[in-house]
Amino acid sequence: MTLLQTPVAPEKRSQARDEGKLEKATARRNRRTYLALLLPGLLGLLVSFVFPLAYMVRMSFNQGSPDGVIVETFTLDTYIQPLTDPYYWRVTLDTFQMGVTVGILCVLVSYPVALFLARSTSKWRGLLIAIAIAPLLTSAVVRTYGWMVILGTNGLINSSLDGLGLIDTPLKLTNNMTGVAIGLVEIFMPYAILAMISGFGRLSPQLEEAAGSLGASKFKVFTRVTLPLCLPGLLTAFLLVFVLSISTFITPRLLGGGSVQVLATEIYDQTTGLLNWPFAAALSVILLVLFGLIIAVYQRLTKKIGG
Amino acid sequence: MAAMAALSSAVLVLSGCGGGSEAASSGSATSGEVNLIAYSGVWQDQYTAAVIEPFKAKYPDIKINYASKRSSAEMLSALQGQKNNPATDVAIMDNSVSTTGNKQGLFEKIDTDGVPNLANVQEKFRDKEGYGPVAMLDAVGLVYDTATFPEAPKSWKVLWDPAYAGKINVNAPPSLLGLSLTAITSKMEGEDYAQSIDSAVERLKEMAPGVQTFAPNPDEYQNVITGQTVLGLGQNARGQFYSDQSNKKMGVTFPEEGTVYQINTINLVKDAPHTAAAKTFVDYALSAEAQTAFAKALFYAPSVTNAELPADVKDRVVPTDGSLNIVPLDVEFLSSARDKWTDTWKRQIITK
Repeated sequence: MTLLQTPVAPEKRSQARDEGKLEKATARRNRRTYLALLLPGLLGLLVSFVFPLAYMVRMSFNQGSPDGVIVETFTLDTYIQPLTDPYYWRVTLDTFQMGVTVGILCVLVSYPVALFLARSTSKWRGLLIAIAIAPLLTSAVVRTYGWMVILGTNGLINSSLDGLGLIDTPLKLTNNMTGVAIGLVEIFMPYAILAMISGFGRLSPQLEEAAGSLGASKFKVFTRVTLPLCLPGLLTAFLLVFVLSISTFITPRLLGGGSVQVLATEIYDQTTGLLNWPFAAALSVILLVLFGLIIAVYQRLTKKIGG
Repeated sequence: MAAMAALSSAVLVLSGCGGGSEAASSGSATSGEVNLIAYSGVWQDQYTAAVIEPFKAKYPDIKINYASKRSSAEMLSALQGQKNNPATDVAIMDNSVSTTGNKQGLFEKIDTDGVPNLANVQEKFRDKEGYGPVAMLDAVGLVYDTATFPEAPKSWKVLWDPAYAGKINVNAPPSLLGLSLTAITSKMEGEDYAQSIDSAVERLKEMAPGVQTFAPNPDEYQNVITGQTVLGLGQNARGQFYSDQSNKKMGVTFPEEGTVYQINTINLVKDAPHTAAAKTFVDYALSAEAQTAFAKALFYAPSVTNAELPADVKDRVVPTDGSLNIVPLDVEFLSSARDKWTDTWKRQIITK
């Protein structure tokens, strides 16, 4: 019973502080049991995550060569090269910009859907949520190919616009960042919706009604009550989509047509095309550090908003 | 690790295989299995039908496990990962990449001892140091839409023609197609690519704005067949195959300024788990029967002297008798220039 109650306690901390304190005390008493229960998971994590990560970090200090030979050594060249080369700064900046753009657009288009689903009292709510996240059942590769068909020069959009006589030459919607952004926004929408719904815990219709009864217009209720209460959910969704975007490889590769160079595609090229594993590992570590920095900033931001 | 090695030795001694004789450690030549790593997609389909299935019929006790990869570099990457504990026996890959594998000590030398058909491989297609010989040859071609070009374009210069801007696909390096185009352009500009590719880069920069994609998907042939593009780089063999598949909607040609060979070698992995059976497979792959069958299936030129091709196939595979204008792309040079040229494309040629 205790085991079942305790993991739920942190989420309800704000509502039931006393109950939380009691459960914290129980948790302390059962620390050894928890450690024993965690051990299989930790071991799995060690083998599947920590060891490969350590191998990658070690690899990043080796010396690569143009013909794919890896020299076991300890050098910082693999880090100095990307950090002193404006090209890699541009690639990093493009990666960052892609993450921010996709994050913002994804939050914007997902917010109305998530808000509707969070507030819905319909008996079909469960089904509607399932429909909203159903695209996750299809592989991102398949959906990216779908977008290639839709956005291509002879695709659905260009053919329709051409058929309506609105364009003479096809719009360039693919093989560039525009195509990548469109594809990524759609692909990450289900994640954003889920993150938002779970982050809308403080949203309450009563608070909105109270604001309305005190004379606030619908717009004011939204900007002063609804939106601020949604902010933690929106930020979580943004962070999730941002992190997924900057690490994604398939969509920039397929919809970017070789013209979109981001850290993930660069790592792929270095690993499988040029066989320079040390350099690819160094770029991966840089991407990881970038993740860490973003998450640190995010935590500060959420603390500020929460506090 | 030491304990594992000791345990393995003990098992070998107990099972009577401790003498370390080659036959004992490499298994039987007519039974067991062979782990093959080679290209994916249509190449895999056609090689399976033309070579692997007949091999299985001839040697029913040898099982072939085919691990497919999209490129030779991916194959090498997989082999590098297995270096200390090889799981692959045979690798069929591009010679610019297998040369790197030879240098890294990933492959075994092959002689006529276990592979008698090696004697039938043309002298020029045998490795000087005795590593894996050439298994098949192809060359880079210009792929075109037959509705736009009722007659095959004669020059690579058509890629610069503003009339086709936005309707061209070019596979950028590290793809061999892009590396080959760099060498061809360099030759067209009258420079020696081994010294400098500056003029070629300037010319390619003029072409780049007209390129629709530098990484065609699903591939360079389907893009032309589906009408996304009308021109592109491609390999002759696959181009011929897809030309038939598409009812000649797409064609492939060798322009007059010359082209670059794409050569695949067949390699025996060093310390492979099933060496004897692997040699049986390599020998079969170099037989006239297998070489002819694969040429008929996917239009790769055989590397052996005793393969007889029907006239309609012979006309469509890349000539290896010196009649085709070839831009020589030295594999040793290429393995060192690949990353520089790739970098140049990314920084200077590819447009956003």
